[in-house]
Amino acid sequence: MSRSWVDAILAAGAVPASYVPDASVGRTDLEEFTGADPVEDPELRVHARGGAGPLAPAAVGFLDGIEQWRVVGYAGVTPIVRAYVAAAIRLRGADRRPHTIAEDTDELAITRLDHLPAAVRAALEGTGVRVVEISADDAGQPARALPAARAEVQRVRAALERRLGEQRLTALGADEWLVVDGVLSDSPALSAHPRALGVVKSHGAEYFAGPELERALTLPAAHRTSVFRPKRRGARREIYSWYLRLWPWHGNDLLYGLVRVEARAHPDTVTLASRLSAWLVDERAPLATPDRRWDRLLYPIHDVETYLRARAPRDLIPHPASRLPRTGS
Amino acid sequence: MIERRDPPPIGRVVATEQKPATPHQFHFWTANETSIGIGAIVRVEGVGAGDSERVVYGVVTDGFAYSDLATPLHDVVGAEGDPARAAEHPTVRQEIRLWTAAVLRQMPEEPLQPVPLGAVHVASDADVAQALRMDAYLGGAQPTAIPVGLYTSGGLEAPVYLDADFLLGPEAAHLNISGVSGLATKTSAVEFLLGSIFQHFPPHKGRIAAVCFNVKGPDLCFLDQPGALEDEDRRRYERLAVRAQPFERVRYYAPFKADGVNLNTLRTHPELVGDVEPLVWGLREVLDYAEVLLNRDDIDAKADAFIDFLSDRVVDKEFDDGFGGAHRVVTFADLERLFRSIFDGLELSARGDTWRTHHIATIRKVRNRLSNISTRCKGLVTDDGPSNDLPWGRFEDRAVYVVDVANVDPLGQDLVFARAVSKLREHLERRDLGVDAVVVFVDELNKYAPGDGPETYVKKMLLDIAERGRYLGLVLFGAEQFRSQVHRRVVGNAGSIVFGRMDSDELATPGYQVLSPAIKIKLATLPIGELMVRHPHFTQPIFVRFPRPPVLRGRDGVERFPPAADLPFEDAVVRQLVKLDRRVRPNLVKDLIADRREEDVRRALAHTRQTRPQDALAHFKKQLGGRVAPAAAMQRESVPPLNPISDEPY
Repeated sequence: MSRSWVDAILAAGAVPASYVPDASVGRTDLEEFTGADPVEDPELRVHARGGAGPLAPAAVGFLDGIEQWRVVGYAGVTPIVRAYVAAAIRLRGADRRPHTIAEDTDELAITRLDHLPAAVRAALEGTGVRVVEISADDAGQPARALPAARAEVQRVRAALERRLGEQRLTALGADEWLVVDGVLSDSPALSAHPRALGVVKSHGAEYFAGPELERALTLPAAHRTSVFRPKRRGARREIYSWYLRLWPWHGNDLLYGLVRVEARAHPDTVTLASRLSAWLVDERAPLATPDRRWDRLLYPIHDVETYLRARAPRDLIPHPASRLPRTGS
Repeated sequence: MIERRDPPPIGRVVATEQKPATPHQFHFWTANETSIGIGAIVRVEGVGAGDSERVVYGVVTDGFAYSDLATPLHDVVGAEGDPARAAEHPTVRQEIRLWTAAVLRQMPEEPLQPVPLGAVHVASDADVAQALRMDAYLGGAQPTAIPVGLYTSGGLEAPVYLDADFLLGPEAAHLNISGVSGLATKTSAVEFLLGSIFQHFPPHKGRIAAVCFNVKGPDLCFLDQPGALEDEDRRRYERLAVRAQPFERVRYYAPFKADGVNLNTLRTHPELVGDVEPLVWGLREVLDYAEVLLNRDDIDAKADAFIDFLSDRVVDKEFDDGFGGAHRVVTFADLERLFRSIFDGLELSARGDTWRTHHIATIRKVRNRLSNISTRCKGLVTDDGPSNDLPWGRFEDRAVYVVDVANVDPLGQDLVFARAVSKLREHLERRDLGVDAVVVFVDELNKYAPGDGPETYVKKMLLDIAERGRYLGLVLFGAEQFRSQVHRRVVGNAGSIVFGRMDSDELATPGYQVLSPAIKIKLATLPIGELMVRHPHFTQPIFVRFPRPPVLRGRDGVERFPPAADLPFEDAVVRQLVKLDRRVRPNLVKDLIADRREEDVRRALAHTRQTRPQDALAHFKKQLGGRVAPAAAMQRESVPPLNPISDEPY
């Protein structure tokens, strides 16, 4: 898909616009559990890396996705958003170099069709681009429309990632793991697979309070918490999880270098937790710079993002060296 | 001659605002594992409207590799300060191999536009020919291509040709080769190229020969002997369509040593010395080039005038000295007799201090300097007897004339060089040399044509060849260690320039600023057998590999044919006569020259050598003249002694 559908709606009377939202902040958990049940220990404890050697799978696939969108036109005050989402799995083998083994993209228009003039709507529908609609209430107020559009983009991206990951599981080798950037619990297949791992960088949900929360958020570097089971809510599948500190947080922030790991809800996960943690600590290097989240972002995940961004449509990204003033909204 | 291949793309042109593609330069990336390197020739194919027919050829001049590491500090942090851990990272960072290429040619050539951002291919044979504009002289009714070596890159190799019109004239001419000493690259390259020229010199351009001055060691003493070649060399010869064989016609010239009978060369092995012609010059040959030998600070205008007088009015003419003596001055000995006659005449006649308007002091000075020449250049310059010279007017096609002056006094080297080049020029101007073009190979230009230092006759000659030789077919192949220290006009007039392994200090001089640091590094580490070539048709320097020359290298030649020890005078004379006539019996010669003055023997031998009679011994005997028996002392009558003194004391 190209800009052709954008040209079509502009030709049909939509007012051209160019608004690029702040850079995608990554996929946050759309809904989080609150509270957790102990699994490994009666209460949340701190585990040192100990003598457990890191897990060293022969091959690891890393799954991540990106989303890019911009407002390309207005019909009255109703925004018309062009969005692009992509996901890929890059497999790292014995040569330690990631290679793309699966990839998918999607382009869509996000708007409210019944708020568009007939000509613009006809033009948009005539182009064949997939149109995702936001609610009528959100469409009436630009201040609400854009967050709604963002949520739709994130939803589409999550679905794309999930689909790609589930496809890969069917071909996963005996000594191959799949590491997903984000939660596993969206997907029944991913959350139940013995060699799938989710690495969550954002910590919007609170699973603990009081001393347990303090232990979780003040973990020393290369330490993990006990394995726990987040409480189920909604469509989320049962999962085991634990916190892991990749870098010392002293002098920084409580969340600095802190990730939450998700794996299937199975006793083997508890057995493997220390080895898995040691493996992830080893994945700290090379640093995922210049990404601002490098303290929590694994380099192979960063590599997938870099790959996807390199292949994304260039007109969706403001040129970093552009001399034109940046537009606002 | 051209093989077409269709190599897969190996890279892609990239351009950014900071590093844009221009009509003369572009950048492209390749996989980390690539066969591309500095000097590789690539082809860029345009894509899209307006560019689909555009093809650009370029040569890689620089390379870059970097990863996505934002700052070295991040690597330190990632490895927690331990360099060993840096190699243990589970993931290898993304890396890039980015190359810079200089445009060799764009097709179509107009309009000249920035290089399209297309796919990059390794150049095939046909691409190399196009890129280097060799298509202009490889084909057609009268091709003028001279193979110079193989361009090799990424498993592909293609012959590279020079244009004879630009290597040997008349469009441009001359070749200059630089490189550090001791690798034999310069000499080997010239030997290979001469062989290639002899085999590929276009028939419509006529006949060609080479005159090589051997100025050090045995470098050029075995050009007619086959050298050891490896299979790879033979394959390269086949690829270049050059026969791997030593030169068929090589003529060696070397002066005598001071004894006048043993040759002053390292090619004195009994099996080879028979091919060496003595180079002997007499008064006539020397006088014309007296200014080469005489110190300009010492010889003033008056002496110059007197030398001119001798040359114009005296030498080779019947001449009356004004004191009743008739002279025909042909040799230094004749000249000495004339000088004695003049001095005696002036003294006896008391006619003052002037003879034929020349002051006696000037005459004495010129006599002193001239007589000194035959002493300093003994072996090359003969006091008496005929000269033996290069075959002026009878030069053979595809022949190499090696003039071995390696062991000659520097003054003698200057004389040999100046006279040989002057004679070549004279004959080429008159078109009566026997060939239409002559390649003159001179090594050690740092010595003979330095950028600074006094204006010597040799330097003037080299400048003359460099600046005017191409009109005559007189082509200079010069070699030196430090190009920056050779006279600018000598190297500047060379149409083709070749570089072997270069000294780093030399590469740091301003003359090499046009080369990228990567090219300089490659030049500083160039292996034996690889050269960088600049030629008028090539818009950028090109690296080529050439096979080992099919001739015996100097040092190998000396091992296989060790020089013979100097022979005693009699044996040396015998050997030269046997060379002229195999029927000559050594004992007869030895009997003949026993008790004869050596200068008489040398004179007779020189005459025999020059005449080359059917019966060499008879001619030699005749020239030697009859043995003059020593006259018995006359008995003088004397007064008989007195009676012995008596023993008596009183």
